[in-house]
Amino acid sequence: MPEMGALLLSSSTISAPADLLNLGLNAGAVAPEGVVLVALLGTLIVDLAGEKSAARWAPPICYVSLTIALLLLVQQWNAPLEPSFLGSFLADKLAISFRGIVALSTLISLLISWRYAEQSGSPVGEYAAILLAATLGAMLLCGSTDLISVFISLETLSVASYLLAGYMKRDARSSEAALKYLLVGSAAAAVFLYGASLLYGISGTTNIKGIGLALITSPTPLAALALVFVLATVAFKIAAVPFHQWTPDVYEGSPTPVVAFLSVGSKAAGFALALRLLIGCFSAFDEQWKLLFTVLAVLSMALGNVVALAQTSMKRMLAYSSIGQAGFVMIGLVCGTEDGFAAMVLYMAAYLFMNLGAFACIILFSIRTGSDRIADYAGLYQKDPLITLGLSLCLLSLGGIPPMLGFFGKIYLFFAGWASHQYLLVVVGLVTSVISIYYYISVIKMMVVKEPQEASEIVKSYPDIQWQTLGIPALRFALVSCVLVTAVGGVFSNPLFRWANNAVAGTPLLQDSIAIANQQFLG
Amino acid sequence: MTLPISTELICFLVLASIVVIGGIGVVLLSNIVYSAFLLGGVFMAIAGLYLLLNASFVAAAQVLVYVGAVNVLILFAIMLVNKREDLAPIKGLQVRRFVSGLVCSGMLALLIRVVVKTPWAVPGPTAIGEEATERIGEHLFTDYLLPFELASVLLLMAMIGAIVLARRDVLLEDVGTGEPVDQALLEKVKTPVLTEKTTL
Repeated sequence: MPEMGALLLSSSTISAPADLLNLGLNAGAVAPEGVVLVALLGTLIVDLAGEKSAARWAPPICYVSLTIALLLLVQQWNAPLEPSFLGSFLADKLAISFRGIVALSTLISLLISWRYAEQSGSPVGEYAAILLAATLGAMLLCGSTDLISVFISLETLSVASYLLAGYMKRDARSSEAALKYLLVGSAAAAVFLYGASLLYGISGTTNIKGIGLALITSPTPLAALALVFVLATVAFKIAAVPFHQWTPDVYEGSPTPVVAFLSVGSKAAGFALALRLLIGCFSAFDEQWKLLFTVLAVLSMALGNVVALAQTSMKRMLAYSSIGQAGFVMIGLVCGTEDGFAAMVLYMAAYLFMNLGAFACIILFSIRTGSDRIADYAGLYQKDPLITLGLSLCLLSLGGIPPMLGFFGKIYLFFAGWASHQYLLVVVGLVTSVISIYYYISVIKMMVVKEPQEASEIVKSYPDIQWQTLGIPALRFALVSCVLVTAVGGVFSNPLFRWANNAVAGTPLLQDSIAIANQQFLG
Repeated sequence: MTLPISTELICFLVLASIVVIGGIGVVLLSNIVYSAFLLGGVFMAIAGLYLLLNASFVAAAQVLVYVGAVNVLILFAIMLVNKREDLAPIKGLQVRRFVSGLVCSGMLALLIRVVVKTPWAVPGPTAIGEEATERIGEHLFTDYLLPFELASVLLLMAMIGAIVLARRDVLLEDVGTGEPVDQALLEKVKTPVLTEKTTL
């Protein structure tokens, strides 16, 4: 694509204002984000009329706008590829897929959060607005092709996440989570800025593609340093070991629906950023970053899954399991093949449904009982078959048991890893999968196998199941649809496979990288 | 060495030493008020460095934003939370200081080595001086339009979030059922994470 460089050159030498007006911004590419922004303002406006009006109107506004955003993304799928905002944003198929994952995860997170927010007495309108702002940042992050855009959208996502983590302000745990997240996140942002400034100093441009070209023509030791700094930020965002220390505390202290968003939406945006930066910008340091990411992936899979064994809190267990799951996704990143990238996209999509399904179940349980200890789930099947069934299916899928959706995602990842000779990663992945199955199954065993007299006190005094309360029908809808997709999606996963392969095949960035890798392999 | 160049060098050395010494002071001084004032000095010296690079607009923005807003805010925060409290000594502080000092000096050595080894494109692009404001405006409305607009969303959201977190009134009842509530996590506390203080 020569036009991008030409545009950059022309924009820096523009003198007359008339020339500026003739530049095509191609702003239609961010129409889905525009819809999300309108919804953000809409929720704020209905919130002005009071809490009752917000609780009545904010949900439909969010549903409609996120559905429109998803439809617009579908419409963009086959549109001709053109950089927008003079090279700040690129709506290629990779970006569209990840933006779709982010938008869908927000939609489901919102569906499962209304009852939680209302029951804890927190303002619903602002909650939706901040979550939509986080979505906006995450969606733009997926398509940003300029370091400045990357940084601003990263900050929008991060600042919104800090606010959401501390949203239950009467609870010391929530405030602690927000403070820890803020401090660690700001340090990560500062490190990213340092790395970005080094990259700008080397190449004289903030465009990722331009920097990539400059690094290929003259790789300097400074660029390696910048790689380490930028990589640290990416690893922080996807919570890879050893940049994971914030995850368990933040996940335990944040409101559970927020954790659901952080573990899927925020992580998907982090992986999109990783792909853009590492493949688009650091292709000259291919071996180095692949080595670093191999180390990160092995550590994440091993530590995440082993420490999850010892957890007694459900949220904390899912936090460590999400670290392990990020390790699995990194296998696809390290492969660098067509199958590897497609497996990444596919696994993120599968992870969306199974993880949000599991979160919907534990939110429903904590709404009814006010507990998230694993021991309190003992004997649940007697009192609440729906939660038991949903949670069991989602956890089995997270563990990778056939015929669930997660099994196909995982097998594709391992297959891609084996095909590109990443034997260490695949073996570690297989071993840690077995470990993860142990702790997922032990929750299921706790729920299903216990005799009625062995049930926990909380389950013995379980309240009558009601579906009428405001916000509960939405939660039930999200739960049932996530569990359905997780359970049945595996059998009918062909469209998903085709979608993931199309996403990779239609992305010039990834195709270039694959072509270069193939040339090196042959020559 | 001509007079302008030597003057520039002297100015640079003075400003750079203020930045370095001030920065070390910000970290090492135990009285937080001194640290805050020293930070203001560091920001001013950095503005001076921008002036030396003939970037007057950036220098003015630096003074206005960092000294005028950020630093004053820090000082306000310190004054509002003016509570003398003897913190419990951390175990193994000396060892920790030694280790972090070691890591930091290693980092510094690495940076110096890399900076010396890198072939820099000197001299850099010529400064455009007074035209800078115009050029920044052009960039903000062409290739940096998206981040510029997104920054306004970021600020709006930060403002709303700050108000939500800071306002004192909380909802007392569930809007769905009308039952009394408290803004805390639904999951009950099993083990206190923070040691709650009784005196506030």
